[in-house]
Amino acid sequence: MKFLVNPSKFNKVADYIFLPVLISSIILFSIGLMFAFYLSPDDYQQGSTVRIMYVHVPSAWLALLTYAIMTLYSIAGLAFKIPFGFIINTAVAPIGAVFTLMCIISGSLWGKPMWGTWWVWDARLTSVAILFIIYLIIIFMNLSFENRIVREKVVAIFVLVGSINLPIVKFSVDWWNTLHQPATISKLSKPSIDPSMMIPLIVMTFAFIMVGLAIAILRIKTEIISRKSNLS
Amino acid sequence: MMILNKIISFYYREYKLNLSGFQDILTNIIFFFVSIFIFIFSIGPDKETISSIGIGIVWTLLLLSSTLSLRKFYQDDFENGNLLIMHLNGLSFGFIAILKTFSHFIFVQIPFLLSIPIACILLNIANDELIYLFSSFAIGSFILSCLGSISSSMNLMNQRNFLLGSVIVMIFSVPIIIFSVGIVSLEENFNSLISILFGILLIVFAINPWASGLCLKLSLENN
Repeated sequence: MKFLVNPSKFNKVADYIFLPVLISSIILFSIGLMFAFYLSPDDYQQGSTVRIMYVHVPSAWLALLTYAIMTLYSIAGLAFKIPFGFIINTAVAPIGAVFTLMCIISGSLWGKPMWGTWWVWDARLTSVAILFIIYLIIIFMNLSFENRIVREKVVAIFVLVGSINLPIVKFSVDWWNTLHQPATISKLSKPSIDPSMMIPLIVMTFAFIMVGLAIAILRIKTEIISRKSNLS
Repeated sequence: MMILNKIISFYYREYKLNLSGFQDILTNIIFFFVSIFIFIFSIGPDKETISSIGIGIVWTLLLLSSTLSLRKFYQDDFENGNLLIMHLNGLSFGFIAILKTFSHFIFVQIPFLLSIPIACILLNIANDELIYLFSSFAIGSFILSCLGSISSSMNLMNQRNFLLGSVIVMIFSVPIIIFSVGIVSLEENFNSLISILFGILLIVFAINPWASGLCLKLSLENN
């Protein structure tokens, strides 16, 4: 498992797994989109708009997952002095921002026909919007510091302080009485979703993970190269 | 007793500095009142409307005008080397951060606290609501000081994007605004909401010396 903390080992492993990840993402996406558009049934209340869920839910999960990974690597970078953590922080933040933006946009596209409005000031929606702004601040911080050592550590501290928002996003539907429905799929109980909708959701989630992983590998490799040649 | 002497001399120096730069604090207050005027001109002088949204206006403008002076939080001491001298005299960076936070609270937020009653007269806010506003701002302003300490120490070495510090404070002050304005509208829940605010204060106060101290140390090492 050393490739998770060591740049040169990571480069070797990444060269092996990049092509399989890319191919499997293409395959999973074609299967998942086929299921989502043609093979899964309409909802009896929501009709065809339920298909937006197959994009909305995986992107929301991955937005949270990306931030959690950044938090873990910030702890590793600050506490155990592993510079690879800062590389991950710099490389992965835009991916998380894009996933959050996709989640917000697809959610408001669903909300217009279902709730009758693009946006409500609901706890879940607001906290996800704050997550998006936190991602943007991380990206801007990465762009605006000139000294690299200060930049990476300050960004790591900011990621740790901003991780307060993660449990708020996760539990906002349980703590407050919101318009956004609570989590349908949870680990502790049997999911209240039909298998015919569960399968495309899981396939799409894996497809999103693979796409995110492929982009992340590319970005981390560029970051390692630019650090080696002292470009930033 | 040594440490007490150091603290006293630290606050004496802060007092002297703030007294000589008193027009800065006054400018903050004037900014606050002028923006209240602007707000009233933009929504019209209808008494009912103003008193129904007055609390929100006061809180928003207090937040905006107290983030204005964040640039001066550490920047002057950092540039003329006083932070380094304080550290060489035996104060740790985290302790400097705590002292600076209290100093910011006393010299920047207390004037705002004193100007709230005048703002309430202008905005036609009832007297019993004034007490809730006052107590929520007394706690909330200290949270704002802690957040300001964190964000301004993060942006000491940031030469390009000065506004980022204010954005950081504002994004983390969202829960404070929610609970403080909630105190006024849900008066029967006063105790529980003030406890939540106090809990946020304790969390932020615990994070503050760690985060600011680390950022100060980083900036001084790599300057």
